[in-house]
Amino acid sequence: MFTMMQGEDVESWMANHRVGVTGFPDSAPLNQLLVYGIQDSNPSATDIFDQQEVACFDELEESLLQEVSGLRSDGDRQSFFSSKPSRLDILPSPWPMRFEKIQRGNSQSAGSTDSCLAKTIGPKLESEPLVSRYTSSEQSTDQQQHKVMANNASMAGEATNHQPRHQSKRSIADSDTRKDGKLLDAKTFRRLAQNREAAKKSRLRKKAYVQQLESSRVRLQQLELDLQRARSQGISFGGCDAVKGISSGASTFDMEHARWLDENNKHLSDLRAGLQAHLLERNLGLIVDRCILHYDKLFGLKAVAAKADVFHLLTGMWSSPVERRFMWIGGFRPSELLQIIMPHMDPLREHQLMAICNLQQSSQQAEEALSQGLEQLHQSLAEMVATGFIGEGSNVGNYMGNMAMALDKLENVESFVLQADRMRQETLHQMRRILTIRQAARFFLTIGEYYSCLRALSSLWASRPQESFINNTVSELQDIHQLQQHQLSSF
Amino acid sequence: MQYESAPEYWYVRQSRADPLERVERLASESAVVVFSLSTCCMCHAVKRLFCGMGVHPTVYELDEDPRGRDMERALARLVGAAGPPPLPVVFIGGKLVGAMDMVMASHINGTLVPLLKEAGALWL
Repeated sequence: MFTMMQGEDVESWMANHRVGVTGFPDSAPLNQLLVYGIQDSNPSATDIFDQQEVACFDELEESLLQEVSGLRSDGDRQSFFSSKPSRLDILPSPWPMRFEKIQRGNSQSAGSTDSCLAKTIGPKLESEPLVSRYTSSEQSTDQQQHKVMANNASMAGEATNHQPRHQSKRSIADSDTRKDGKLLDAKTFRRLAQNREAAKKSRLRKKAYVQQLESSRVRLQQLELDLQRARSQGISFGGCDAVKGISSGASTFDMEHARWLDENNKHLSDLRAGLQAHLLERNLGLIVDRCILHYDKLFGLKAVAAKADVFHLLTGMWSSPVERRFMWIGGFRPSELLQIIMPHMDPLREHQLMAICNLQQSSQQAEEALSQGLEQLHQSLAEMVATGFIGEGSNVGNYMGNMAMALDKLENVESFVLQADRMRQETLHQMRRILTIRQAARFFLTIGEYYSCLRALSSLWASRPQESFINNTVSELQDIHQLQQHQLSSF
Repeated sequence: MQYESAPEYWYVRQSRADPLERVERLASESAVVVFSLSTCCMCHAVKRLFCGMGVHPTVYELDEDPRGRDMERALARLVGAAGPPPLPVVFIGGKLVGAMDMVMASHINGTLVPLLKEAGALWL
């Protein structure tokens, strides 16, 4: 038990009262919590402090924000803490109004179980059990752990002042919501409808989240396999590239690309949900615009990567093996993409068909031009290097001169990759202009799912066991087939 | 496509001409004008693009022109580039289209073909 006089300085109190922690049983109903956080000045403790997570219970925090009064220290259950309070992480008010407690139980402390994480404000809280468990170990002064202090004074008088969200939900449930229609008034009926809507939305969200998780899992597997392969390849080749390892620009781009893919999955599920929910055109349009902006971001990332390490972009090691097969100058071939997606885009008006036809033709012409330009670059580069050391042999000056020219030539590779990316970006924007909002949503969704399938195919291919290849492949292909059917039918 | 170099007898008269003026004069003489460098691969790409569309541009290789350097600088100012001029630079119907990225972008968004038709470089 501890008592603290109003107005007493916390530090002096701390100095006077050094006691151990007593644990709380989990199931004890806690009407009120007061949590102190003590931050040790010991560097190792600070490290632990930094590593530990802070979980905020939003409901509690909101409700706590409504509390104003000071602390009454007549709690039934109180725990104490002991440590070296060399620095208190609390406001220098007579009574601490806001405390942050961060603790994670770990194997260090003897007998500690799980973490107890809470962020509370003020002592007078009327909230449901939000902080579950505390470490029950006696914390010795050596251990640089953070202690929890909870003041569990009952605050019956403050009940009305403070409404946690779940309480308000319960109050709705208690009120007259008989669904037989007799006691339903307009307000209640509307509330019920809103609840239904909310429930439906949360079901959709959950579904989208699960899908996102699954795709992330597949991608993770594929990434791990790629990593394994890259490592083994690096060892087997043993060339100068492998010795130097992957360049920093390349690894940065790989990381950014992975992050981009994750976000892209979110946009895809938004698109999916938006199409299924038959949103207003305006709202669906917002989602589509976000999707396009996200693609623009990718091209920005690729531009940076092209300046840093253009050959990494060209090799395509940042994407999956099957995607790599279809790669053209560091990315997708626009005319090819249009060809693949268009059959799934019916119905289209005639003027749209014409515009898309023209787009396909111009893409092909532009691709041809860039390919030929790149071809000429290769030829002149090869000539330069060859004449440099074959023709003149021992003439070092000429050799160096040719090498310098070749270096200049190589800079052009970057501009070709940039042009190809700009072409891709412009193609996507042009499709957005040609299609209606709904069609554009389907277009981007189809693109995203097509590439997800390619990536899934890559990871399946990589993980196939050689002996039972046929059996497994058949069953996996059936799964993919089902997935495709399901996805196509959802259009 | 035709490769042109400005006729010699103009040289004395035009020796004090502003390179910018020269550029604009050359650009307005043909339907499609490309200022390029013979060694540049991107210039090769733009030439192939026009040939692929059935257009015959007039090409000025600035590295073979005695006043090429000045014209390059003038072009850089026109295009708005700081530093080395981004050749190739394309003019259609006397109007500046821009460097390779502008040409590609206008081709993809469908504005290049109407421009060519208007200038009389392309017939359907």
